[in-house]
Amino acid sequence: MKKRFIGALGAAAISLTALMAPAMAAGTLRVAIPSNLNTLDAAKTKLGEEYIMNFLIFSGLTEVDGKGGVKPDLAESWSKSDDQKTWTFKLRPGVKFHDGRELEAADVKASIERIKDKATGSPARVNFDIVDSIETPDKETVVFKLKIPYSGFAELFGDRQVRILPRDKFDTIATHPIGTGPFMFKSFTPGDRVELVKNPDYYVKGEPKLDAVTFRIMPESAAEIAALETGDVDLVWSLPLESIDQMKDNPDIVVDSTPTSTWDGLIMNSAKKPFDDARVRKAVLMALDKKALVEVALYGQGTPTHTMIPPSHPYYNSDIPIGAPDVEGAKKLLAEAGYPDGFEATLYVPVGRPTRERLGIAAKEMLAPVGIKVDIQRVPWDKFVKEIEGKAAFYADGFFSRPTIDTSIYPFYHSTGSWNTQLWNYKNPEIDKVLDDARAAKTEDERAALYKKFQALAEDNPAGAIPYVLNHVNAYRKNVKGFHSSPMMWLDLRETTVE
Amino acid sequence: MVLYVIKRLVGIVAILVVMSVLVFAITQVMPGNVAHILAGQFADDATIKAIEHKLGLDAPAYVQYWRWASGVLSGNLGNSLIMERPVGPLIWDAFMSSALLAAIAFVMVAVFGIVLGVLAAVRQNRFTDHAVSVFSYIGVSVPEFFWAIVAIIVFARYLDWLPSGGAGNLSHGVWSWASHLILPSLTLTFTLIAHVSRLTRSSMIETLRSNYVRNARAKGLPEGVIIRRHALRNALLPTITVLAIDVGWLLGNIVVVEAVFSYPGIGRLLLFAIERHDLPLIQAGILLIAAVYCFANLIADLLYAYFNPKIRYGHAES
Repeated sequence: MKKRFIGALGAAAISLTALMAPAMAAGTLRVAIPSNLNTLDAAKTKLGEEYIMNFLIFSGLTEVDGKGGVKPDLAESWSKSDDQKTWTFKLRPGVKFHDGRELEAADVKASIERIKDKATGSPARVNFDIVDSIETPDKETVVFKLKIPYSGFAELFGDRQVRILPRDKFDTIATHPIGTGPFMFKSFTPGDRVELVKNPDYYVKGEPKLDAVTFRIMPESAAEIAALETGDVDLVWSLPLESIDQMKDNPDIVVDSTPTSTWDGLIMNSAKKPFDDARVRKAVLMALDKKALVEVALYGQGTPTHTMIPPSHPYYNSDIPIGAPDVEGAKKLLAEAGYPDGFEATLYVPVGRPTRERLGIAAKEMLAPVGIKVDIQRVPWDKFVKEIEGKAAFYADGFFSRPTIDTSIYPFYHSTGSWNTQLWNYKNPEIDKVLDDARAAKTEDERAALYKKFQALAEDNPAGAIPYVLNHVNAYRKNVKGFHSSPMMWLDLRETTVE
Repeated sequence: MVLYVIKRLVGIVAILVVMSVLVFAITQVMPGNVAHILAGQFADDATIKAIEHKLGLDAPAYVQYWRWASGVLSGNLGNSLIMERPVGPLIWDAFMSSALLAAIAFVMVAVFGIVLGVLAAVRQNRFTDHAVSVFSYIGVSVPEFFWAIVAIIVFARYLDWLPSGGAGNLSHGVWSWASHLILPSLTLTFTLIAHVSRLTRSSMIETLRSNYVRNARAKGLPEGVIIRRHALRNALLPTITVLAIDVGWLLGNIVVVEAVFSYPGIGRLLLFAIERHDLPLIQAGILLIAAVYCFANLIADLLYAYFNPKIRYGHAES
């Protein structure tokens, strides 16, 4: 009886699914994302899931490709003065917001000034401290006057939070975002789904190709994977690294992995003993087997590196080898620094960041042979941010990839960098000079040479150990065409179709 | 009776006030505040101060509490600090989704629990009894997240009968809506059924051994009538109490079940709010859950009185 009932239920399910199938719009892409969104206000976003919306609903002045390149978006063209302190952007004419109003230079000015306002609390604010004034001589021209020469200024506008919003809709942007992007906001049910529909007036003719995108919020990875395998969703964004192998065997599913510049690292606080001694920091770096850490912490989904500049970046310094661990060399350095028998250290790892937890555990094993006895302490994230970062001597931390080379490095490594004192209190006059010079560099070659020098300096006198950059992995069903994972971890769906 | 209910209602209000103070105190002690979360990792102090000022978090604790409490008294639950939208509709939608799930699970726990308990008692020490015991003990002794994931893997991934998560929408058809409720409510039921079935079984066995049941049997009444009319009604009294306590369990389990099944209910919303120190949202969610629990107990006590005139409230002396 029971069996028959379940059988009937199954049959009913199958026939109903079949009946329902034509009801779904032909070009709707269904995407699973793991976390609920805090906000839809681009300026305040801090989560990967929120960044996805930023790039679908809004546009920036420029667009970065995540490999060091920058191209026009809302700005059709731009020019800089010889001293690199005055930047003039020409807006693409005739671009419309989703409410039908035309984009004007005043919207750009208001959006950037809002990011600069401390009370907005935008994570992008520090990058715009260099902006002295913003002028709008006409409706299609924006002029930025900077306090210092800054060669990477155009790239800043490709950043996640730096989206251009309609200046008359700031107070409703968090709940009903209106932008100029390829998709328009339809609805957000917290904890359940976000629905977007095609923007018929998108400034690139013929794009986007999809009619709609639905995001399902699914915190449990077993549920995400089951939904993908049974066709309840078409794409799973940012697949948990541990579940990649089981997906690879499924013939209906494509696993798409791409290198990013998101990094994890062992932070050694230069303001605390014993890490105030550069030789100790170098010894820790020498003891680590970066290739093994990629296998253990990332299940192979990453690439060993020297700093946060990934091997895929044109500025990566490939002259520095990624060597095997050097236990004897590390021991010698420790002895020189006055620790012939090694030392004991507590390594703090944040709970809920699994790659960093695994990094900590693997590092403990690798540091034991050189005489460093590591005690691992797991700390809840809130406490980690408030009491560990910048304060503890030794901890595992990391940072999401950033769209520009300068904003990836300067805030961490320059002695006046905005995040330096909240990370490792690292001071190196040579690196300071290289990073300042790179900001003012006039040619690509000059810039590339300076950043290669930076990597060599950071290898000799490390601030911490950045063993690898992570891969970003999406999985999608074979009927999804024209999709490529982005190194910036957002979803570019302008060319994507569902068959 | 009316007086008793009024007394209990006043008590519930007092409990809710104490709860709100406690929740507020706990959020004050938690490291970091919502401004740290809004500003994000590596934010500088100036930004945090600016956000604290904007949200009024720089005021003394009692002022902050009073601001919130006076808002609630005038019917305004405030805005979610993180999501920047009114708490009222946010909480209400999530609560209604959860209430539906919880109600289905509760009815199933009550019906199946009692039926299984009676079956086990009537067939004491026989196969049915042992089968019911094993079934309900397996359910209660393995945590719900395990059964939830097993259910997803079996029914969604391999059999592909039911969706692996999310909430259905009636506009997509009744089946689409109902199918999303089956796995979460079955998981909830399975983990709770042991309380009810075990208790019903033992109190039923006790009742079946009592003198009045023997009398009824001696009178020659059919066994079915004895069980339904005479034994069950008395045996159910402790079950009612345990069902009220189960409401508390249910509200706890639902947080986990909602997370695993991606179900947009109050448990997930509350978890989201707590992780982000979003005080107005935490307060509204906790108070609503506390209120549900208080009222469930009140109803249980009233039902108890209804079934057992011996302890009818307010008439003890007469």
